[in-house]
Amino acid sequence: MNRVLFGHLWRSQRTKLVIASIAMAAWNVFLPVIYQSFGQQMKALIDSGIIPKQFTNFGGGDVFSLPGSIALGYVHPIAIILVSIFAIGFATSAVAGERQRGTLEVVLARPLSRRSLYLTELAATLVLIGIVLVAASVGTLVGCALAGVLGELAVERLPLLWINGMLLWGTIGAIALATSVSFDRLTPALGITLAIVIVSYFLEILGSLWPDAKGLQPYSLFHYLMSRDVLGGTIDPFAFGILAVVGAMAIVVALVVFPRRDLAAPS
Amino acid sequence: MDAVSTTALTKRYPHHELPPERLARRLRGEPRNDVLALEDLSIAVREGEIFGFLGPNGAGKSTTIRLLLGFLHPSSGGGQVMGLDIVRDSVAIRARVGYLPGGIALYDTLSGERLLDYLGELTGRPSVRRAELLDRLELSTRTLQRPVRDYSRGMRQKIGIIQALQHDPELAILDEPTEGLDPLMQRAFYAILDDLKAAGRTIFFSSHVLSEVERVCDRVAIVRRGRLVALQDVASLLEHRKRNVELRAAPGEAIHLDGVAGVSGVKQAADGRITCQLEGDVGPFLAAIAGHRISDLTIEPAHLEEAFLELYQDAEPGDPAAGVSAAGASPAGVTSR
Repeated sequence: MNRVLFGHLWRSQRTKLVIASIAMAAWNVFLPVIYQSFGQQMKALIDSGIIPKQFTNFGGGDVFSLPGSIALGYVHPIAIILVSIFAIGFATSAVAGERQRGTLEVVLARPLSRRSLYLTELAATLVLIGIVLVAASVGTLVGCALAGVLGELAVERLPLLWINGMLLWGTIGAIALATSVSFDRLTPALGITLAIVIVSYFLEILGSLWPDAKGLQPYSLFHYLMSRDVLGGTIDPFAFGILAVVGAMAIVVALVVFPRRDLAAPS
Repeated sequence: MDAVSTTALTKRYPHHELPPERLARRLRGEPRNDVLALEDLSIAVREGEIFGFLGPNGAGKSTTIRLLLGFLHPSSGGGQVMGLDIVRDSVAIRARVGYLPGGIALYDTLSGERLLDYLGELTGRPSVRRAELLDRLELSTRTLQRPVRDYSRGMRQKIGIIQALQHDPELAILDEPTEGLDPLMQRAFYAILDDLKAAGRTIFFSSHVLSEVERVCDRVAIVRRGRLVALQDVASLLEHRKRNVELRAAPGEAIHLDGVAGVSGVKQAADGRITCQLEGDVGPFLAAIAGHRISDLTIEPAHLEEAFLELYQDAEPGDPAAGVSAAGASPAGVTSR
């Protein structure tokens, strides 16, 4: 890892990081408040049968329990977009974007190995994702305190939820970086990463809403984000392991592919 | 020890083809149709010299530079920079080299100063020449505070030159370094090169501006379609080139230049104006005109451009080997050292 490059990446992302973290915290403040304000009324609505029962389990989250509302916060498109700023946007442009702009050439003309460059970009991606997820945890705590439901929250399990989130988004970040080091242009790297994430998300949501599609969920990375279970005290090491293995595979692929690639002159 | 040496350095790129095309080719049993970007390049750049690397677009100049810096992997052959292997020791090589890419791209959001600081820190060596280079290329402190996106093309090129040379590298690889510089700045840049040479630094200078290569370089290599066409001292390359001569004899003077050694293409106009080409030693020519009354005499110096064009016209288009054999057959052609 290269300290100077890391510092440069940090400085280039810090404004975006502050905005994304504040937005993530605000979003997670919102959900315990919704649970406390409308959860019981909405539960009555669901129990009446007007709304299908499956909507109580959107991607493993709901607003009828505190763990369910927090889980919904993690799997909701708003949270996904906020983390994706770094897990997909930053990671895919880390190499392919710099190649396309021509600036990678200037950096790699320095005594910096491609592995070192990749590992620094990976570290930066993980740190940026980690901070956004810390903001989510802080938002959850503040939201619970504001809603007066802090007593219902198993605060000691928030670090485990953070680790689970890091494994999911770190894996997505590693996949994004693996595509980034494999292409000379941003569009294919971004397209492939987005396709993986969207299909994965679609499989998880489809399986959670439609019982017949439940068998597709294990093929989704989002299936292994078990926020409600983690907050409820149930930890599935297999889920953590799957994410860790997929992430490690993406890292190995990038470490093998990137140093062996020819970096022709930017067109 | 040579600053740069390559031995039969070759780079092939796989030809891009769609999977059905690839399958059809394999079924027909045809070999891969690779693109040959560089073939059997063997050059040696001496320490402390300014070495010009010439060729038109697509000749293999950038491919060679990228192979030397480890951006590309050789298909065969090899090379050394400062005694270090270009494949195994590429990081160590880049610690001792300053590189200016052709058409350099910079981080637009950074200020010029921050950019130079960042690239200097990445190099890991103090930027001992920066102040001097800023002064000579007339980049003020105020200009450096502005973001790079506000810079003109010439200013970007100056920043590119400074980032390549600020840490006083032992070898500077400069790809089209005067692109975008005005004539005054070009002159300042040539003076910088002279000083670097005087300090024992080696410059690998890629360009297609022949006049500047002729002006600053000690030796030149000319590449054509990925193959070396000539490698010579600039002086000896020019020595064998024909100079254009124009003289005007006084009325009634008859000057006969036909048959004079080194003189060819003699044309005599009715107004007493004589034009011809002169090659090699000027002695026989001067002896032939001595004693005659001459009102005007111009001998144009030979230019690298003519040598370059001559080497390129030697070969039939589409036949890469023809250029090499034509030059290689001549004693003035390919010389490895």
